Order: sequence, then C-alpha cells, then structure tokens
Amino acid sequence: MSFDDLAARALDTASKRGAEYADLRFEVVRAERIETRNGIVATLSDATSRGYGMRALVGGAWGFAASSDLTPAGIDATAARAVEIAKAGAAIARHRFGAAPPRAYVDTFATPIVRDPAEIPLGDRVALLLSAEKALHVSPKISVGRAWIDLWRTDKTFYSTLGSRIEQSIAQTGSGLEALAVGEGEVQSRTFPGDIGLYKSGGWEIIEEAQLAQNAQRIGEEAQSLLTAEQCPSGTRDIILGGSQVSLQIHESCGHPAELDRVMGWEANFSGVSFLEIAQLDKLRYGSDIVTIRIDNTLPQGMATVGYDDEGTKSGTSDIIRNGMLVGYEMSNDTARTIGRESNACVRAQSWEFVPMIRMCNLNLLPGNVPFDGLFEDVKDGIYMESNRSWSIDDHRLNFQFGCEIAWEVKNGKRGKLLKNPTYAGMTPKFWNSCDAIADEKSWVAWGTPNCGKGEPMQTGRTAQCASPARFRNVEVGVGYGG
Amino acid sequence: MDSKQREALAERVLALSTADQTEVTIGTESADLTRFTHEEIHQNVARADTGVSVRAILGLRTGTAATNMLDDESLQATVERAIAIAQLAPEDPELAPLPSGGPTKAPAGAYVKATADASPQLRADMADAIFKVAEADKFWCAGYARTQSAGFTIANSNGARASFDGTDSGINVKMNAPDSTGYGQAYSPDATTLNARSVAETAAGKAKNSAKPQGVEPGEWTVIMEPAAFGEFFTYLAQHFSAQAVDEGSSFLSDGLDKQYFGEHLTVRDDYADPLAPSMPFDFEGQPKKRLTLIEAGVAKTFVTDSYWAKKLNRENTGHALPAPNAYGPQAIDLVVAPGTKSVEQLISETKRGLLISRFWYIRTVDQKKAIVTGMTRDGTFLIENGKVAGGVRNMRFNQSIIAALGKCEFSNAPQRTGDYWFSVVVPAAKIEGFTFSSGTQF
Repeated sequence: MSFDDLAARALDTASKRGAEYADLRFEVVRAERIETRNGIVATLSDATSRGYGMRALVGGAWGFAASSDLTPAGIDATAARAVEIAKAGAAIARHRFGAAPPRAYVDTFATPIVRDPAEIPLGDRVALLLSAEKALHVSPKISVGRAWIDLWRTDKTFYSTLGSRIEQSIAQTGSGLEALAVGEGEVQSRTFPGDIGLYKSGGWEIIEEAQLAQNAQRIGEEAQSLLTAEQCPSGTRDIILGGSQVSLQIHESCGHPAELDRVMGWEANFSGVSFLEIAQLDKLRYGSDIVTIRIDNTLPQGMATVGYDDEGTKSGTSDIIRNGMLVGYEMSNDTARTIGRESNACVRAQSWEFVPMIRMCNLNLLPGNVPFDGLFEDVKDGIYMESNRSWSIDDHRLNFQFGCEIAWEVKNGKRGKLLKNPTYAGMTPKFWNSCDAIADEKSWVAWGTPNCGKGEPMQTGRTAQCASPARFRNVEVGVGYGG
Repeated sequence: MDSKQREALAERVLALSTADQTEVTIGTESADLTRFTHEEIHQNVARADTGVSVRAILGLRTGTAATNMLDDESLQATVERAIAIAQLAPEDPELAPLPSGGPTKAPAGAYVKATADASPQLRADMADAIFKVAEADKFWCAGYARTQSAGFTIANSNGARASFDGTDSGINVKMNAPDSTGYGQAYSPDATTLNARSVAETAAGKAKNSAKPQGVEPGEWTVIMEPAAFGEFFTYLAQHFSAQAVDEGSSFLSDGLDKQYFGEHLTVRDDYADPLAPSMPFDFEGQPKKRLTLIEAGVAKTFVTDSYWAKKLNRENTGHALPAPNAYGPQAIDLVVAPGTKSVEQLISETKRGLLISRFWYIRTVDQKKAIVTGMTRDGTFLIENGKVAGGVRNMRFNQSIIAALGKCEFSNAPQRTGDYWFSVVVPAAKIEGFTFSSGTQF
C-alpha cells in the first residue's frame, strides 16, 4: 500500500470516528554527523527515522498522535488515538478555539541545491574536518580542537481532509570549528563561524562557504590570546556587535517574544510569556527608526525556508517590526484568527513525532546603509564583541544578559586591544532603541540557529536570523565579572 | 515492544554484523502529554517509536548508524551502513573495547504499569482539577500533565546484555494572578500518586502570597532556594564531573580531587537507585552503573567515566556512558544531594533578612571553569524579614559562581525530585549566604 493510500485511510478513519478536520504529515528524516576532536573522529553517524504525525479536531479541541507503525492496523490505531485524545480535551473545554485551516494546496517544494552532499565521498568529508581541526592547534594550550559537519534531509508529505497534498524535500547543512584554550586558572573558547557554525538550507556549497580550513589557525590563535587578554571593563559603553551576535539578539529579544502563542500564554509555564502584548500591536515603539525585522520564509538559503509550513500554509513575508514599531507576530491558524489575521506560515514540528507549533522561522534584521568599518567611526570609547558564549533573558523577554567569546576595545574610532569575558546587559526596548547604525548588505549573513528549544515536550527548531553587525549606544557592559 | 521482544530484536541485528565488535541498542518510547493554558487544553499529544542503533568497530575504526524501520531489509542496510562508515573512519589509537557488561537489577519502583497504561482521560482529569483551583481563585493557569514509558535494551558482541523498562509522569503548574505568579510541580514513576489539585493549590498559594510585589535592591542576599530552584544548579554542575571535562581542563575538578571545594554540609552522590528517582542501572554501553559519592562533606572524591575515558585515563569504568556517539563524554545524570536536619520553616525562621526563591529561569553559564552562571527568579520570589515571609518581591537577575555559593550553604531535611526531561535530580531546599543579584525587573 502506498503512503498516499495509507494517508487516505488514516484521514477517513479519523473522520468516521468524529474528527471535523484532520491532517497528517508523513516524514522520512535523515541526519548525518561527523565530528572530529583532537585528531580523531569522535562521531561518524547516520540516522534515519520514518513516521507520521496526525492531528484531529473534535469540538474545537485538537488531538495529536504520532507513530512509526506503517501497517494498516497501525494507521487505524494512530488515527483513532488522535481522535480519542481530542475528545478527552473537548470534554473539559471551557472555550472552543481550534478550527480547520482556511484553504488547501496541492503542490511540491524542494530546497535548491548547488552541490549534492552525496557527491562528496565520506573520506573527503572526514579529511576536510581533520585538516581544519589540526590547524586549530597552534600551541599546546589548545586543549581541545573540534570540527563538525551536519547534513540533514527531510522528505515529507502533508495531507488534509480539505484535500491538501504538499510534498516537500528540505535539505539543511552546517559546519563549524571550536578551539578550547586552557591556561593558568583560565579557560577560553573560540568558535567559527559565529558561535554555532554556519547553518543554512542547501547542499555542500554551505560547507564550502564556511571556509573552515582558511580560518582555523586564526581561531586557534585568538583562543590562545584570550588567555592573557585584559578583562572586559564594567560600566556603560557604546558597543558594536558582530553579525552572529546580532542574530542571537534578534532570536532571543524579538523572535521569541513575537511568537503569538507565547503572547497568548501557551508557553507561560515553561519558556514564559511576552512583553509584546496584543494591546501593544501597532502602538509599541520596539526599536529605533532604522530597525525593521521581517519574516521571510522564502529567503534563498534561509535555514527555515520551506514551501509550506506544517499546517499546510504557504510561505511568504511579513513584518514584525517596521521602522521600530511592533506591527506583527509569528502566527499559526488558530492564534492568527484571534487577532483577526491569517497565519503567516510560522508553524513547524521538529519531526513527524512532534505536534506542529509556532516557531521562529527566518526572521531578519534588514541591513542598514553603513559599511562595516563605518560602525566604528564616531565611537570614542566602546567595545566590539563577537560570537556568543552565554545568553539569558527573563520570562517576559525584557531583562537580558549576553556574553561573547571575544572583544576589542574601540577608542576614537579605532579597534584596539583584545578583551576577554565580554558581557553586556539591558532591557529589550531600550536596547533596540539605542541602535543607531546597522551595517550594509555586504556583511549581511543568513545566520542559522539549528538548536532552538521550545515547547513541551521540548522540540528543537531550526531557525535563521539574518543580520549584519550593528551599533548600540550607552549599554551596560562587564556584568557578571565585577570589573 | 516489551523487553523480551527488544532482546530478540537485538540478537537478530547483532547476528547480521560481520564487524570485529558490534553493539546494538533498541530504544522504545511511548510519551503522552496534555498541555493547557487559560483553563483550556491547547496541546494534547501522544507519540510512540522504536529505534535501533548499531555501533560497528573494525580494528580501531568506529561507525554508527540508526533507524526506526524494523523490516529485515532496513535492519540489514543499517548494519551495513555502520560497517561502511567504520571502514572509512580513521583509526582511533585510544579506542577501548566494548564493555562485557555484568549483572544489574532495576531499582524498585522504576516501572509502574498504571503509568504505562494511562489514558488521555486521566490527564484530562488532572487538568480539570487544576482548572477548578484556578477558577476558584480567579487566576489563570498554564502547565501540563504527562505520562510516559520507555524501554532500552543493549547487546554487544563482547557479551554485554541488559534491559530496562521505566515509567515517568509529571505535573507542572504556573498560576497567574493580576500582578504575581506561583509555581508547583510533582514527578513520579507512578502517575496514580500525583495529586493535581495539591500541586495547583501550591502554585495558587504562591501567586496569592506574592501579590503586589515590591522591588528590592540587587546585591548580596541570603537566599533560601526551594528544590525546584536549587536543583537547576546541578544541571550546570553535573558536567564538571565528566572525565572528558576534567581531562580537557574545563572542569573545576581539573585542579585536582580530594580538595575542599565546597562547604562541609555538601555531600553529592550519583545514585540510579534513589527511591525518589529510580532509573536505569546500567549505562548506554551496557556497563553496570556504580553508585558514587562525588562530593563528601565538601571534598571532591571522584568523577565519572565510560569505557573510552576509563581506558584513556587509566581509571575504573564507572558506567556513565551516554548513547554513542556523543560529544559530551560520560555524564553523571542521577545526582542526589544529601539532606540536612532542619525544616524549610526552620531555615526561614533563622533568617533575619533574605529571599525565598521558588524557581529559576534561563540559567546559562557565564564562565565554565569557575562555574559562574546567570539567570532569573520567577513564579514566586518572597522577602524574608525577621524569620518570616513578608510578601512577594519583583524578579531579579543573579550572577553567581555555583562553587562559591555551595561554600556557604546548609540544607533542609526533605529532599524532592526536581528537574524534568532527560535530567532529574534529588535535592533538598538550600540556604545560601552571599548570593549575588545584579539587576531587577518590573514584574
């Protein structure tokens, strides 16, 4: 029996058992990882997972069941379980909030790939990492060198009782390096590119773009230099953040608080609520005039780029922050309806096992008009920080404290001496309103985040926050170390 | 799939391999969760899966492959893929042979059939009980009720054979009042022992008692952390007890064992058989787990290993391997902090001025070696004045070395299981002097 037939059987079973609407995602997920550590291959693995997740709607309440059992009996049992769960919820429901999506699609989507990773022999992949990792070891003080490649491929088909059939093939790729330096009572690390690596949708071209081997020696030298660098001072300074750190700042202080399910209290017990309340929509000045943050789930190479989300909604673009003002949210069908809008296709599930939920997707700070070097001009006493090391923000997404791996003093427009343990802290709207310069598109990178946690049961999401470096005035720095 | 079926499947897959050494693991999971907010279930889910992982070793070369497709063709292909990967892998001169295992016994109470058989209605009934507490107080609530069962079987070509079945359940509630919140939680392998109403009332009580919170100045405070808060520190301390972290220099233990790192009140064990959190008696290589005292009266006594790190550092294999392959090395995942002699009420009554903390949020490491972490209080933070709880305070951010904090602490006499997902810990409440807050919030 083909999966089209099994899906039809599942949807039919759910309908007969009382579902007003049902949908089903069938997925085959393949994950390959190589990681080298101090000259050996610490991880060389290839995992395949196949299964399906099914949503059923009864009386405005959703039930979700997932299984890897592809037998007709397994399909029947899973469909029946989804309906049973929905009915248990409906029996105690105080309100009726669930509804079927507004429209159906029959379509296909595939991530554009320049070079299929399958063309690269495994031996060549390993050799690339061993070579790059070896170059990190610039001295015996480099206690650990690591290099890694992740290759992910998801083939999935979405079916619904409205008649949707959406077949998608999504390829995501990433790689990175890390050097850990150990000195007298001191441990410092440097990671490249960014703080996680470079993760995008696409094929082997993403690995080539990362240029691991070309940068490994520098990263090792920087890690070693940090062991004897001066401590980042405490006080108030102008700061310039590297692009990957701006990406993290967007992720934590805009991406998460703009999830409409979080705004509505759906995450309250775990990852918290949001200061971006619905009453503030179109009224709150979130940032300065130059700050525009846009969802674009069609962006080439965006980590979260797909044709359709996991509720079967077509990808598009929409703004969260426009010229500093709060104008939108990341939305699902049910949450969007509560504010009189339509979903902007921000629903994802980690894999077939998990229920689809609102996720940050490609959320991009539009580039400014200042060359990167121009960010340093007009800074009399500041700090330039790169590459995240620590991140923490309160459960309303206001009070944050972030740390970076490396920093440099900026004096009278020039980058100066190296600083270790840089940290900065603030309150989200005040911070984004202090943004007075954003570097131009030449330094704009589609930084992917492959490990975003949200939900219960916890799901790992793959997001992107495309950004270029930016400047912020009068920020508290050196928090956590006491000067 | 029960343990007999898993064991038969493991033997079948093992027989397919032509590698010098082969390890087969079978993991099954059935996990159900009902999540709610504003007295409405918004997420009601169930998932079931069985996965097979194969580690093939050819000489000093290793490859792993995994699948959840259990037909003969897919299993054969997975074994062949693991071998093919191993053939292409460089040699690791320090590779250890797979362990040969040994007898193990599951701790009492780890598996409860009623939890494994729990229905969506049981979780809906729990949610309904919580809703009624919220409605009585005109609060709104958010949280979950969950039940799950899992089975794990390992077989390798060096003779290791082990199986374990466990269940778990939990309730987590946040009560939301107009200007305050409160938190309650309960976890147990036996879902029938969970009292949803009681958990909800605890959370509602904290929300009530922390109403109209006042701001207090950051700086150094005496704090009393309830188990849900204190336990989070051990998520960040646990990694320091890994042989890998010790060897690479990122652990405070890299400075040596048998040193007084903490106050004399602190004793920490790694114990899979603790009755509050019974878990798997062997590791993910099939090696029986040692029940270890890691910290005794503040003195660091040992750290944990797996087969690789035991060989590399010429130490005993303590049976703390994670699933292969992984980048983290061995980990202590069954931490238990020894209780003190005083009740929480007595610790409060002996405090002239301090803060009572229910829960933390978003703790992250600021400095790995020094174990400095930052994070926020949430869901019930109270001022203590002259030995009494004197009302709620607004939430604050802390920056604090865990090592320094545990140098000036004492503990309550009633440990609880806390933590969730893959990491749980058994801890009492803790009273800590000189805990450093760096900033505050308006809520």
